[in-house]
Amino acid sequence: MSISKQAARSLTQAALKAATLKDVSVRVTSSARGYLRFSQNQAAASGEAERLEVEVSASVDGRSASVRGSGGDREALARLVAQAEELARIAPVDPELMPPLGPQTYAQVDARDRASAAIGADARAELAGKMLRVANKARLDAAGMIESADVAVALANTAGLFAYHASTEVSASMTCRTRDGTGSGWASAASHRIADLDPTALATRAADKATLSQNPEELTPGRVTVVLEPAAVADLLAFLGFALDRRSADEGRSAFSRAGGGTRIGEAIGQSSITLRSNPAEPLCPSIPFAGDGQPHPATTWIDGGVLKALACSRYWAKREGLSPLPRPASFLLSGGSASVDELVQGVDRGVLVTRFWYNRMLEPQTILATGLTRDGTFLIEQGKVVRAIKNMRYNESPLTLLKNVLALGRPERVGGGRQTVVVPPMVVADFNFSSLSDAV
Amino acid sequence: MPRGRAWAAPEFRRPAANAAPQSAIQTADVIAGSRLPADEPIARLAVEAAVKAGASYADARLVLWRRDRVSVRDDHVSGVGANEEYGLGLRVLVDGAWGFAASSTVDRKVAARLAKDAVAMGRRSAALRRQPIVLAPAPAMVGEWVSPFGRDPIAVPLQEKADMLLAAAQAALRVPGIRNVDASVLAVREEKILITSEGSRTHQVFFRVMPSLTATAIDRRRGRFASRDHEVAPMLAGWEHVEGARLVEEAPVIAQEALQKLHAAAVEPGLKTVILAPSNLWLTIHESIGHSTELDRALGMEANFAGTSFIKPSDTGKLRIGNDKVSFFADRTQAGGLATTAWDDEAVAAQRWPLVKDGVLVGWQTTRELAGAIGEEASRGCAYADSYASVAFQRMPNVSLQPGPEGYTTEDLINATDDGILISGRGSWSIDQQRYNFQFSGQAFWEIKKGRLRRPLRDVAYQANTVEFWNSCDMIGGEGSYRLGGSFSDGKGEPGQSNAVSHGCPPARFRANVLNIGGAK
Repeated sequence: MSISKQAARSLTQAALKAATLKDVSVRVTSSARGYLRFSQNQAAASGEAERLEVEVSASVDGRSASVRGSGGDREALARLVAQAEELARIAPVDPELMPPLGPQTYAQVDARDRASAAIGADARAELAGKMLRVANKARLDAAGMIESADVAVALANTAGLFAYHASTEVSASMTCRTRDGTGSGWASAASHRIADLDPTALATRAADKATLSQNPEELTPGRVTVVLEPAAVADLLAFLGFALDRRSADEGRSAFSRAGGGTRIGEAIGQSSITLRSNPAEPLCPSIPFAGDGQPHPATTWIDGGVLKALACSRYWAKREGLSPLPRPASFLLSGGSASVDELVQGVDRGVLVTRFWYNRMLEPQTILATGLTRDGTFLIEQGKVVRAIKNMRYNESPLTLLKNVLALGRPERVGGGRQTVVVPPMVVADFNFSSLSDAV
Repeated sequence: MPRGRAWAAPEFRRPAANAAPQSAIQTADVIAGSRLPADEPIARLAVEAAVKAGASYADARLVLWRRDRVSVRDDHVSGVGANEEYGLGLRVLVDGAWGFAASSTVDRKVAARLAKDAVAMGRRSAALRRQPIVLAPAPAMVGEWVSPFGRDPIAVPLQEKADMLLAAAQAALRVPGIRNVDASVLAVREEKILITSEGSRTHQVFFRVMPSLTATAIDRRRGRFASRDHEVAPMLAGWEHVEGARLVEEAPVIAQEALQKLHAAAVEPGLKTVILAPSNLWLTIHESIGHSTELDRALGMEANFAGTSFIKPSDTGKLRIGNDKVSFFADRTQAGGLATTAWDDEAVAAQRWPLVKDGVLVGWQTTRELAGAIGEEASRGCAYADSYASVAFQRMPNVSLQPGPEGYTTEDLINATDDGILISGRGSWSIDQQRYNFQFSGQAFWEIKKGRLRRPLRDVAYQANTVEFWNSCDMIGGEGSYRLGGSFSDGKGEPGQSNAVSHGCPPARFRANVLNIGGAK
């Protein structure tokens, strides 16, 4: 079980009491995580880990340092505080150091689900059992993962700030492969509520994709219309989220820098259907309401009707340039419509349906050009129907092109596990650039 | 010009000798100063409790990490951090299934609870097994080992680290046109005591360092920018390796090369001859050969995350991965190698063995759980867990390309090339989940015409198919041109784990699909 608000408060107070410098802050992260991993249609590994991590940052006369340690007894806390203070005293001056924030007001976020916090090895095994039954019945090779976490984060400082956020996360994912090795399908789901997970439906999706993706044919790489499922959209959107930074744009080293100086805020960077928001209190994907330095995460519209509206801005840069600070968000929401993936497919004359991308890497930050490959279910669409499986392909494409070439958006959904919490719709995008073929299944 | 630079001690510039890795001369002092042995009875208690509760095998690891980082941005220190992580992890085999439990609280009460929880988890998982897990036999190992170092990188005063980084950043910023410099050094100390129910007890300490320096040139008028990284590799070594990188002296050169890159000619795409410097080729080896010869991947155990492999166990001794010039060996004994150790996380002794001989697949990376799947009687010693809170599984040893017998230098390769591109440094990298199609970029690119470096290029990436690529290799540098590259963070597994690993190689020449990745700007 993760640490309660009361226990976190008393732990952080104990640490701050040991402080001798004026500016000291403490961050406590307490987590209980459990998982069951399966492969070859059987349990492969199962584990649980409890962690308590304490990070202490101290600053004095423009000098600053932070130290982190595990364990939370008073002696260990005092040692960490002393260590941070000692390092801060000898650290070189950082002219960009900002004074600690005083008490803040945060959005009310309900991200911890009692039933999810109570998940144990039995519940994980039961979920895995249901998923394996689907694969066994379909005579497919299956590998997958069930993970549950109960996490609490607390932040406190000598200026009187105290912030606490508790959350749960349950995720499940599964890959099914056909026994002849020519087909592979994947599906995943994540939520803060276990009740939102349907292991049988998820496994069925992965199994169906595996069967459908057997014996793929080659499609000549080139520019083509694509229907991207939400997981694929999230993969590409991650590059965009990272680039939404004010300072690098002002400094001329970002895709959002304007030639000749300044940023592209106010410029139309996508179709009018594109609106990108963040909101920690979003019911479908609640996320931490405060940033690492204690700043509240405000509900923000980053791109509004295709127009770039905001870039994340550090407190230092905001002060220097006379701007308002805006922390990087903990979640992203891309608006959409109401169509399902199937309905989007029905509107496409000829195109490619992409389940997800893999090994996505930035190629060229100047244009946010990224590369990666399709994986676990890539299909040819003709006259509104999925007609056959095609071989995986590498793309070289920028999420900025996605925003410009979007033809339709479907119903947004939460995309699971292992990355920033995002809610994104499936998308139909014209002229998506596939550059080479892959034999990988 | 990048080709004359070494940035590494001579012992890191040779393939490994076939011998147990040397322990540091300071081993006795380092071990005597350790706080871990005080908690050893608790680890033993956990193992004993697990066996008593029904485990057929158990191992406990006390693991202490220390990570010290100093970062500099332009003219000031932007971050000073010291992270410590400590705890106890217990792995048990019960009824033929694994269970694992870990805690950052290390005491007798917790040890007993971990044993109870891990055994219960193993039992629960056994009901979801088709076949029991069987471990290949391994002799009990008892010993202590400390990775060789000249100067303890954790003990180097903060001021000294900061002064060096600030001086390097200043030296780069003095070059007109350079607008931003980021420099940092990460010093890591990993220490663990492993106790097994079969009588092994190993105590090891690893020192690793990672210096870095990046200069960015900006052309505001045209709205363009280009960055250049120093090509120094992270290493299993002490502070002497950071000093060997000569960041301050090299900074103006790195800065000039960033400018050069900004104003370089755009590459013409097409099928071309490429010469890959060791600072680039190591990562191509890692992705195309390192990951595809992981046996757990080939068996489908990573299918839901990292993927499988284009190679099957039945291909052993038959499948041609490259032409007969190409041989790869795995080793955990290479001096300076980030994955070098004396014993793995199952107390199996480190070794060196061939993976690809004269182009043909001959070996695999294994653990005690995996060895039997290919009919081998013993593990190759590739078990590793990245923290007390992580379970050990198969991770990559140092995988390296055997230098060519002709003794070629980089210059020989360039002189023998009529039309091609020299690529050095680590850029973007991406490869599919079975390791066929890869696409890599780099840091610096030179056009080669008629055996001479003609001009710098920009926006270069190369793409190929693993087997076609290694079959196209027609020149490999000699032992004198061998260098180690590496990474602190090779990701694999669910929950995700990070492994530090090195790859040695000389420069080599290939045919690959060259792309122009320049944007519209």
